[in-house]
Amino acid sequence: MWRNSAVRLAAGCLSLPLLICLLALLAGRNGHVVNLDSVLATPSASHWLGCDALGRDVLDRLAEGVRLSLAISLSVVALGAALGIGIGMLAGWYGGWIDALLMRLADIVLSFPGILLAIALAAMLGPGVENLLLALVAVGWVGFARLSRVQVMSLRHIAWIEALRAVGLGFPAIAMRHLLPNIAAPLLVEASFGVAAVMIGEAGLSFLGIGVQAPDASLGTMIREGTRLMLTSPLLVVWPGLLLFMLVMAINLLGDALRDHLDVRY
Amino acid sequence: MCNHSIYQLILVRLLQTLPTLLGVVTLVFFLLHLVPGDPVDALLGETAQAADREAMRQALHLDQPLMVQYVHYLQGLLHGDWGKSIIDQHDVLARLTERAAATFRLAMVSLLLAVLMAVPLGYIAARRHGQTADTAAMVFSLLGVSIPNFWLGPMLILLFSVTLGWLPVSGMEQPGAIILPAITLGTALAAILSRMARAAWLEAMALDACRTARAYGVSELRIWWWHAARLALLPVLTLFTLQLGAVLGGAVITETVFDWPGLGLLTIEAIQRRDYPMVQGCVLLIALCYVLANLLADVLTLILDPRQRHVA
Repeated sequence: MWRNSAVRLAAGCLSLPLLICLLALLAGRNGHVVNLDSVLATPSASHWLGCDALGRDVLDRLAEGVRLSLAISLSVVALGAALGIGIGMLAGWYGGWIDALLMRLADIVLSFPGILLAIALAAMLGPGVENLLLALVAVGWVGFARLSRVQVMSLRHIAWIEALRAVGLGFPAIAMRHLLPNIAAPLLVEASFGVAAVMIGEAGLSFLGIGVQAPDASLGTMIREGTRLMLTSPLLVVWPGLLLFMLVMAINLLGDALRDHLDVRY
Repeated sequence: MCNHSIYQLILVRLLQTLPTLLGVVTLVFFLLHLVPGDPVDALLGETAQAADREAMRQALHLDQPLMVQYVHYLQGLLHGDWGKSIIDQHDVLARLTERAAATFRLAMVSLLLAVLMAVPLGYIAARRHGQTADTAAMVFSLLGVSIPNFWLGPMLILLFSVTLGWLPVSGMEQPGAIILPAITLGTALAAILSRMARAAWLEAMALDACRTARAYGVSELRIWWWHAARLALLPVLTLFTLQLGAVLGGAVITETVFDWPGLGLLTIEAIQRRDYPMVQGCVLLIALCYVLANLLADVLTLILDPRQRHVA
């Protein structure tokens, strides 16, 4: 995969945000130190990218934002994938009313624009990272469920799977040891695009004020705070968005490369 | 595989929408019950007078059993009673229709912009397959899907309003005010559509029919824009119709960035004021439009692409 120029571009795009995180971790700095002497300070040797409206170091907050965005999107995709794949495999394997019920549930979720449903759920559940995760997972599981359902349905009647049933293997064992490895490729591709989508979703919700709350820094909250000061300190909105953009683009590129590499078509 | 008439197929598709609609309404109804603890506490604070609490409880019908509330809600929706704002007692449906026009205008301009960008881009990319123009078009498409609209908006404002002073920062009264929000909302769509157009055009050009047309001496331009385009633009049209509804989701964020007084901004205002009936109304209306757009996409495909009629 490394020969692919898109993958190298993706690695390049990923390296800057990750480097910022790593440096902040190594230096043991955090983005919460309020320093009223350096409110909206311009870039200097001690604050490479200047300070925000509360005198907090922008670079440190960016590092925290990248970390939070990555942590949230990876956990949402992991939770959504676990839930969705479980539901999809159950529906595909058993069929009948279980399938009908679960897929109607998926249809309802798909009847909303994803971001709108996430906004509505997060707004009703109230602020906080747990509720943000909940809202994003509630939207994110559906893609995995539909994908794994279709795959399991086509595998179910293949002779060697039937043979496993004939020797008395139960559904959990067949699912974990035999079905999952065979349907993993498209799910991996879905997951990689999912990380990019969730990252934008999380930042969007935080931008709207219903995701990550102050004083925590997420790239979305930083863009939100930055737009208010756009006329005086335009760079405050430029940096977090640029990092988010680079992360999302890198993940999309990796998703494309992964799809080509695994030869997945859907 | 049986051959139903197209009217039967459309009717079936229409009927299939009914349970979906019921599902949407049900989920929106339960949104209010997601508010942790007692929604009345969330609205009035825990120190409110007992009488006020009781009045609020009655206004939201929370004093009745869940099933009764649900039936009541459904009946209200069907009679055009979408509830009242708990902030200013304004009728929810009336407020929604007031605001829908602005969103409709923004959505139409963005969609038009997206198509005008995507089709030529997809065409150039396919025509110059593997060359620089193709790469450039695909890089644009990659940038377009990756750029978050709540960042693209501020960047456009910084460039065109603050630095160059060409266009207004926000609102919709001044001339040209629609341009930046429309670009912000339309970019992602243009990126997705151009990608689809390129792929579909390449696929169509590889068909025997196009090769035969070329062998017959049909002009290259006519092959691309008549023989291939009719096939290639079909999935583009389907995707476009599917995105009609998705644009409304994006409008929530774009309208917030630009203070564009449409449904999206109304949603966010209602969320900030904890005006739950208004939030429910906004979400319901946008979801209904989304479901109808999906329905339209399916029906259009059935009408325009005879092959689909056998699949169904």
